Formats: sequence, C-alpha cells, structure tokens
Amino acid sequence: MRLALYVTCLVDLMRPSVGFAALRLLEATGAEVVVPEGQTCCGQPAWSAGNRPLAVALAKKAMAELEAYDAVVIPSGSCADQIRNVYPQLFADDPHWAGRARVLAERTHELTSFLADVMKSDFAAPDFAGSVTYHDACKGLRGLGIKHQPRELLLKVRGLSLKEMPDCEECCGFGGAFSVKFGEVSTQIVDRKCDAIAAAGADAVVGGDLGCLINIEGRMRRRGNETTRVLHIAEVLAGGGEG
Amino acid sequence: MLAAGRSQAMHFHARAGEKVRNAVLQRALQKAKPLFVGKRAKGIASLAEDGLDFEMLRSTGKNIRNRNLADLDVWLDIFEERATATGAEVLWARDGAEVSRLVVDIARRHGVSKAVKSKSMLSEEAHLNEALAAAGIRPVETDLGEYIVQLAGETPSHIIAPAVHKTIGEIEALFATEHGRPLETRTSADIPAMAQEARAVLRQHFLSAEIGISGANFLIAETGSAALVTNEGNGRMVTTLPKVHVVITGIEKVVPTLEDFATLMRLLPRSATGQSISNYVSLLTGTKREGDHDGPEKTVFILVDNGRANLLGSDYQDMLRCIRCGACMNHCPVYFSLGGHAYGWVYPGPMGSVLTPLYTGIENALDLPHASTGCNQCGAVCPVDIPLPALMHRLREEQNERGLRPWSERLALKAWAWVAGRPALYRWFARRAARYLNWLADGSGRIRIFGLAPEWTAGRDLPVSSGRTFHELYSARKKP
Ligand code: SF4
Repeated sequence: MRLALYVTCLVDLMRPSVGFAALRLLEATGAEVVVPEGQTCCGQPAWSAGNRPLAVALAKKAMAELEAYDAVVIPSGSCADQIRNVYPQLFADDPHWAGRARVLAERTHELTSFLADVMKSDFAAPDFAGSVTYHDACKGLRGLGIKHQPRELLLKVRGLSLKEMPDCEECCGFGGAFSVKFGEVSTQIVDRKCDAIAAAGADAVVGGDLGCLINIEGRMRRRGNETTRVLHIAEVLAGGGEG
Repeated sequence: MLAAGRSQAMHFHARAGEKVRNAVLQRALQKAKPLFVGKRAKGIASLAEDGLDFEMLRSTGKNIRNRNLADLDVWLDIFEERATATGAEVLWARDGAEVSRLVVDIARRHGVSKAVKSKSMLSEEAHLNEALAAAGIRPVETDLGEYIVQLAGETPSHIIAPAVHKTIGEIEALFATEHGRPLETRTSADIPAMAQEARAVLRQHFLSAEIGISGANFLIAETGSAALVTNEGNGRMVTTLPKVHVVITGIEKVVPTLEDFATLMRLLPRSATGQSISNYVSLLTGTKREGDHDGPEKTVFILVDNGRANLLGSDYQDMLRCIRCGACMNHCPVYFSLGGHAYGWVYPGPMGSVLTPLYTGIENALDLPHASTGCNQCGAVCPVDIPLPALMHRLREEQNERGLRPWSERLALKAWAWVAGRPALYRWFARRAARYLNWLADGSGRIRIFGLAPEWTAGRDLPVSSGRTFHELYSARKKP
C-alpha cells in the first residue's frame, strides 16, 4: 500500500513534530509512506469564510496531488473532514470532478481512524508515564465519527492512564477564523474547556487537531498553568521525540 | 425588510464583548446551561421507554415538516376553510406592521383597553406591544419569564426561557419595586414563592382583560385548530377567559393532521425542556359553543408571512422546519457565552444566526452567520435535523457573492489562496513566517501580543515552534 501523508498548514508552521510523529506511526504499519511534493493547504479557510471560488481552486490542486495514492492520511479531523465531506459537495454539480472528489473522499482518513479502523494495526506501544485526558474535536467527532479510535489507541500505550474530563465533547472555541474574529467569545469558551481539563486532573491533555491544542495551550499558559502538557495524539502514540 | 430598521444585529461584535465581560450575566448563564443540556439528554434517553429511537423519530419529524412545506399553500387553504367552519376568522399579514395594524384594529372594534398575552414570538417580530401601547391598549405578558422581561423593559433572550439571562437577585429586586414591597434575600428555594407572587398579580389581569393574544406551536389543517404547549397554564387562561382570542403564527406552522402533531409533540418538549410532555397541551378549535362554560366569543387567526414565503424553494427552505424548541441555542457554546441579547433580534443562538439575516436582510446582520465555531452541536441536537452550520455557511457565501465582506478579509483570503496555489512560494513564506513567529516569541516559546491577531492574544498566548517548518526539516532529512 502506498499512502500519502498530508501535513496540515498548522502542523507545518507551528509544530513539525506532529508531522514526524504521524510519519513514524504510518511507517510502522509497513505501508510505503510518501509526503507528496507541493502540498500546501486544503482550502478550508477559504471555504469556511464562504469564498467558494478560492476553495474550489485549492481543492482541485490538492486533489491532483493526492489522487495517485491508495490512501491519504491527515493528522487532523478538521482537514480530513474538509476532504471527506466538503470536497464532494464542492464538486457536486461538476461532472468532471464529482467522481474524482468522491473517490478521494473515500480514500482519505484522519490519522487515528486510519490506524484503528483501516489498518487495525497492532502497533508497538510506546511508554508514557502519566495520565491524559482526551478532548474530542468537533469536526472529527461530529463530522467523521471519531470517538472510540483515539481512546482505543491511547489505552495501548504502556503506563498511560486515561482520565475523562467532563464535557469532553464540548467545543474548545477555536473554530479557525472564529477565534481571531471573536477573540473574547472564543476565550470565554476555551476557559470552560480549561476548567474541565483541570477537573480531570490529568498530566496532559491530548487531541487530534492542532488548532484546538494551540487554543487550549494558549489559554492554559495565560491562566498560569505551566505544568499540564498539551499533546497531539500522534506525539503520544509515536512515543514522543523529534523526527 | 421592515424589521431591519429595528434589528440590532449589526452590533453583534460590540455587544458580544460587553456580554462576555458582564459577570452577573455570566453567572446566570453558567447555571442554566447544564440544566438545559442534562434535561434534554434525559428526555431523549426516555424515548427508549416507549420503544422509540431519537434518530428514527427525528427523521420522521423531518419528513413530516418537509411534506408540510412542499404543499404549504394547500395545507393553509385547508386550515382556513376548516377554521372558518368552526366559527373562527382567518386573516393574513404580509409583515409585522400589518400584524400590529390588524390586532389594534380588532382591539379597537371590541373597545378593549387591556390585552393578556401568552408568548408569541411573532408579536416580538411585529413589535406588537409597542403598537398596542401606542393605541392606548395595555399588553400584559403572562408567561413568567416574559412577565419578568416585560417588567424590566427588556426583550426575551431565549425562545423558551425568556429571562434566562437574569439572576434570582435581579428578579427579586424587580418584583420588590414593581409589586411595592420590601426587598428580601432569595435563593433558588424561593422560586415557587416568587412564581406564586407573580401569579397573584397576573390573576387580576386575566380577570380584567378583554382580549387574549397567543402564539401557536402548530396549526392543524385537518381540524382548523391551534395547538398551544405551555408549562404554566397561563396559555389556557389567555385563550379561554377573554371574550376575544387572537392567535398569531407564522404560515410555516401548519401541519396536516392530528397524527402529525402527535409525532412532533414527541420531539418538541423533549428537545426543549426534557419533558416527555409539557404540563399543558391545548388544542383550540373555534369559538365558545352553546352550553360551553368558557372559551372566547370571537377567535381570530392571523397568519403571517414576514419573509417566510421567500424561503420556500430557496437554499434556506430547511430552516422553515424549525419547531422553536430552543435546543440549538441550549447546546451552543457561543450562545452560552453571551446570552440572547447579543444577537440583536427576536431569535438568538444558531437558529437566530440563520433567521435574522434572512428575515431582516443579509446586509443588516453581517456578523451573525460567522458567530459560530462550526462545532455543529446545534445541528446534532436539532429535532428536525436542520443543518444549521450549512445554512450559516450558505449565508457566508451569499455575503461574498454580493461583495458584503470587508475588503481586508477578502484580500487576506485571496493572498493566502494565491500563495497556497504556488508550492515553492508557499514553502518560502512558511519558512519566513516560522522564523518570524519564533523571533517574536523571543526564546520563550510563546507570543504574548501578536499584532496580526490582537483579539487572539488578548486572552491567550500563541505557542510557537522551533522556527523550522515541517517541510523544511523533512527535505533536509531526506537529503543524505
Ligand atoms: S433550529 Fe432546530 S433545534 Fe433550533 S429551535 Fe429550531 S427546531 Fe429547535
């Protein structure tokens, strides 16, 4: 199997370690993993701002780069949702692209759902000393049905204990441009998330979307919490460390 | 577009800030949210006791509403015919102003000086209370929440819990002043006593009012009836004690049969308050007949368009399925950070973010379709499966198509897309940006003030990376 790792712009810019962790996890499945040249942005920011022509242009570009692979894996529920659920909508009325969008959508997976549902792989469980609490990001949860996968995978990590926080399915208030446009409202929402994380009393909060994690970490640190670690699930599953 | 002039929706952003900083409001909201969410969850779970499944019932409800809308004109005709046959009068209103005109006219004809009301959102759309007052008729809201809000000179902030934004202390202060008694210290244990106090005051109004004005949760074509769902019983007083009863509803509220109504009633109270059925369900048909003990001598239905007909056959038709249960706002993280007044018009929360632009003009509510994190908790709970985020998204697209977005936003997106379309350039920019962010962080791993996103860093640090992009590190690693 030849698969493509799609590295989101946030991972590229803000936290490359997530990309390398995902790479290691995928390579461990025995598949041939390629980071397609020329990949940039899936077009979600343009789409969510309501700019269809720009979203369409970037979607076409991404499709051309990703079509050749047996599977496309993304360490982000939100970008995976864009390709799986939005691309087919974008091209619903375009006979040339509609079929291609559908095929690509079916082959595209969020990282944990790929590992748990598609590969069902018994990966070499790393060590993690401590407890974690999992934040269910909205697009992955409600768009792709990602709920049990990350938990199943986390429970395989040696030494890790899972402590659920209250309202783990509540939005963290990030919402991409929402957190920039409505900063105060967004901060108010993430405050409730920080309270929930504190209530869980875990050593680390883990999630599958870097956007949420940056938002949560940013608020936690501003509130003076310097100890709770904020980790992408790929980083935990791959056993930490830089690529 | 008549309501546009009086919608405050354009001030959403400024109001949002104000509401977030209002500590009293925040306390009231933080108390209410878990109650709403918990009660609905229990209500939905209790469906299993009747051998029902939420998803199944929800798709039935959705289908019923879709069929209503597909032949709306037919059901309205049938409703008019049957209602007229029972002795009621059916009038039609194009907009809010016409609603007010008709009601004032009816009141004048009957020489009325006081009207009791049971919650009708359409009368909010129409600014009916102001119109009545201007005509010398005193409107008295009789729903406890509405009564409180009216005493305070405010508008409702929630469609089923109009005073949810108020604390007990605020309500006590209001009652003490308005009911002319000394102020007391109140806790939630005193709520029944406070309700009792309001009831005693309202009783006088029920007995002295000559006209009752209500909304209706549904109109039933088959029988020409209005269905009214309440928890306080005030709806029954309003619709049966005064000699004239006026029902004001939107045209989309009509359902074909009693059976359809029964199905929707399995969804409505459960979604709204978690109850399997509300305390009072009234089916109001016609006028008082020979031998009846109570009931109005005259019943008038005012069926209102006010922008609804425009949605039929449009990209937004799904919104007309709404049964006004409030579940979308009860699960919305944005609503519960602000309360309903920030939304600036009759309908708050996610449903308001769709309805307000549609009914008052897209150009008059530019922020509302963006006032969402896209979490889709609203869409997931909506009992008639309205894809609220998709409708907000369609509104955003329409704003772009009509050139209504600020130029800075359009330019930023264009520039981003232009760069993202050119991988080499994109890589170069990303590297520069990573370096720049790292420099701003000044070795601390976080940026405390970021000029490009000031609202972001007003409340949060921006965590930053090592200053190297993934693609940069990856290609360096690949090279031997
Ligand atoms: S949009 Fe759905 S959830 Fe919101 S009030 Fe209407 S029916 Fe209820």
